[in-house]
Amino acid sequence: MDEIKTAIRKGHQSLSEFQSKKLLDSYGVPITREKLAGSMDDAVSYAGDIGYPVALKACSHALMHKSENDCIRLNLKTAQEVMHAYHHIIGAVDMALEGVLVQEMVAGQRELVMGMNRDPRFGPCVMLGIGGIMTEIINDTVFRVAPFNRREAMDMIHELRLKKMLEGFRGQAPADLETITHSLLAIGNIGIDFSGISEIDVNPLIIDKEGRITAVDALVILERDE
Amino acid sequence: MMNSNIQDSRLFKIANPAGIAFFGASNNYSSMGTNMLQSIQAMGFKGALYPVHPKEETVLGLTAYASVSDLPETPDLAVIVLPTRIVIETMEACGKKGIKHAIVVTAGFKEMGTDGIALEKKLLETTRAYGITMVGPNCIGVTNPHHLLNSTFLPFEGTPGFIGMASQSGSFITQMFGYLGPRGLGFSTGFSVGNEADADIVDCMEYFGACPHTRVIALYIESIRRGRAFIETARAITPEKPIVAFYVGGSEGGKRASFSHTGSLAGPDRLYDGIFRQSGVIRAYSIDEMFDFCYVLGTLPPPAGNRVAIQTHSGGPGAAAADGCSRAGLVLPSLSDDTRDKLSPYIPATASHANPVDLTYTKNPLDYFSKIPEILLSDEHTDSMLVYLLASSSMIKRALEGMGMSAGDADENTEKIIDQQCSSMADIMTSGGKPLVGYSFLTRQNSFIKNLQDKGIPVLPGPERAAKAMGALVRYKQLRDKIAED
Repeated sequence: MDEIKTAIRKGHQSLSEFQSKKLLDSYGVPITREKLAGSMDDAVSYAGDIGYPVALKACSHALMHKSENDCIRLNLKTAQEVMHAYHHIIGAVDMALEGVLVQEMVAGQRELVMGMNRDPRFGPCVMLGIGGIMTEIINDTVFRVAPFNRREAMDMIHELRLKKMLEGFRGQAPADLETITHSLLAIGNIGIDFSGISEIDVNPLIIDKEGRITAVDALVILERDE
Repeated sequence: MMNSNIQDSRLFKIANPAGIAFFGASNNYSSMGTNMLQSIQAMGFKGALYPVHPKEETVLGLTAYASVSDLPETPDLAVIVLPTRIVIETMEACGKKGIKHAIVVTAGFKEMGTDGIALEKKLLETTRAYGITMVGPNCIGVTNPHHLLNSTFLPFEGTPGFIGMASQSGSFITQMFGYLGPRGLGFSTGFSVGNEADADIVDCMEYFGACPHTRVIALYIESIRRGRAFIETARAITPEKPIVAFYVGGSEGGKRASFSHTGSLAGPDRLYDGIFRQSGVIRAYSIDEMFDFCYVLGTLPPPAGNRVAIQTHSGGPGAAAADGCSRAGLVLPSLSDDTRDKLSPYIPATASHANPVDLTYTKNPLDYFSKIPEILLSDEHTDSMLVYLLASSSMIKRALEGMGMSAGDADENTEKIIDQQCSSMADIMTSGGKPLVGYSFLTRQNSFIKNLQDKGIPVLPGPERAAKAMGALVRYKQLRDKIAED
């Protein structure tokens, strides 16, 4: 991925959400359907393509904490709402943007987090955890050191205290464990393939009613001293 | 990567030297070096000992040499317990003499900060220049009772055992001599690895993996230096030999494991949990637990599954074991009708045929060691057993007298019968291929406990500890199977 090399060369601290997810997508991690709009007209047109409701997010490599900067608008149901949101986001952000990300809304009551952190002694450590607003309180995370195999990725799932959440319950289908294990392996492989990446944070991955998982937000952090 | 022959291990000559050059012992009995050389002598080390001392003609009754270059031969190992400032020049002299292995006990290196780090680097350059394998600096050395070698500052106690231990805590292994002996356990070999400038805990694991005396590996870990090598080496060993680790936090590597959005989620402790599980290593959460696990994992084959039958003749210890089992991820299956029928002749009508099987008392106390466990272990729903033990010599003697034997004959026969009973229980376990762990509030001073332990049945102090250790044995099986699936 030339984007990563370029970003490091330019001294960027991270990839934008759009670039981060493109990288995940290229390794087979399922991500939200999304397009980067350069104008209000584009945004409306993309929203129509993706299908309502949509989310709009300011997109820049320099924007590491989007919600704190008031540059996300969720659950937009009409072209009118998209235009209004676009206008708001452009006004709220005081920096150059790659564009405004138009993204499908994914509904689901269960959330996961995944991540990678490059440990100086172990190399890329991959994390899986139970996500959602209570993620810190639930504090259910497991780790493996990449590379590891599919069996080990499955064992990560078994190691979660709340693994029952991934089984079917209350009308929710069992989560797609095959895709979860694949995504864990993929994140480990990204860590191995790109020494310039120091961290990956995929948060949340939403599990929908049918058990499908989708990465809704992601951040790739780059090594500073390359 | 893994050595199948222990002589190929780079630590072999450190744990099995033919001769030792010893630096830092004198005739001053309060010095650390002197204590260590005394320990080596006290254990009856069979190889040559060459104390090197600038002034003394003899040290602790041994001929002393003014310089290592004066030694009549080139010994396998140098043990250096000298002031920090002369360690490097001494290492250089050892290198020139052709010595290829060294233990550096001396402190004052990396652990002291900037100047120490530079000094340690220089020491390592010296050992590398001469192709010397070094344990330390800042360590206590090695204990290999099978080779009658103990370089630590306390005399060896107990008997040679099957626990191979590597420790990042300086004198921890030495301190455990007195702990293991009374439990019927012992080290096969113990390494205190110190600053791990050269040889580290992974080298120790490789040594133990190939060591014929070692049936289980114990690790006292504060931080893992070679992460990937640790995982690969452990995964190569655990299919053959269990590894138990006691980890106490504080790894600088682990502390970095935080994530931008979820920083508080990730601590070094959880990271190490994952690393151990990935490596097939069983984690212990206390020192007692580490040795309980080593005892059971080093003695018994893992059970096929997690179903445990509990045999007791007292309600409390049985219920406590049942409770402990469920906390340890074990289940208590119902016994089959066939098993219940087979048990009937041996147990009172008031006893519980459910699991735990609570006999209250046995019609014949000797059935407790033979018929009853045999029936329980042969139940197809049972993978393993926990047995509560409260038998005493006086109980047997009373039974013999009850059978009409004279007091004198009963005395004479008691020990013999205890031995037969314990043999019977051990045979039942061995022939059934299902592990059995005893638990008791008695110690090895009791004839039954000592005899069972000596015949290969682990007996642990109390039901909770026995249940946890059985849980660890099941977990070992699961991890081993997982790794074998590759």
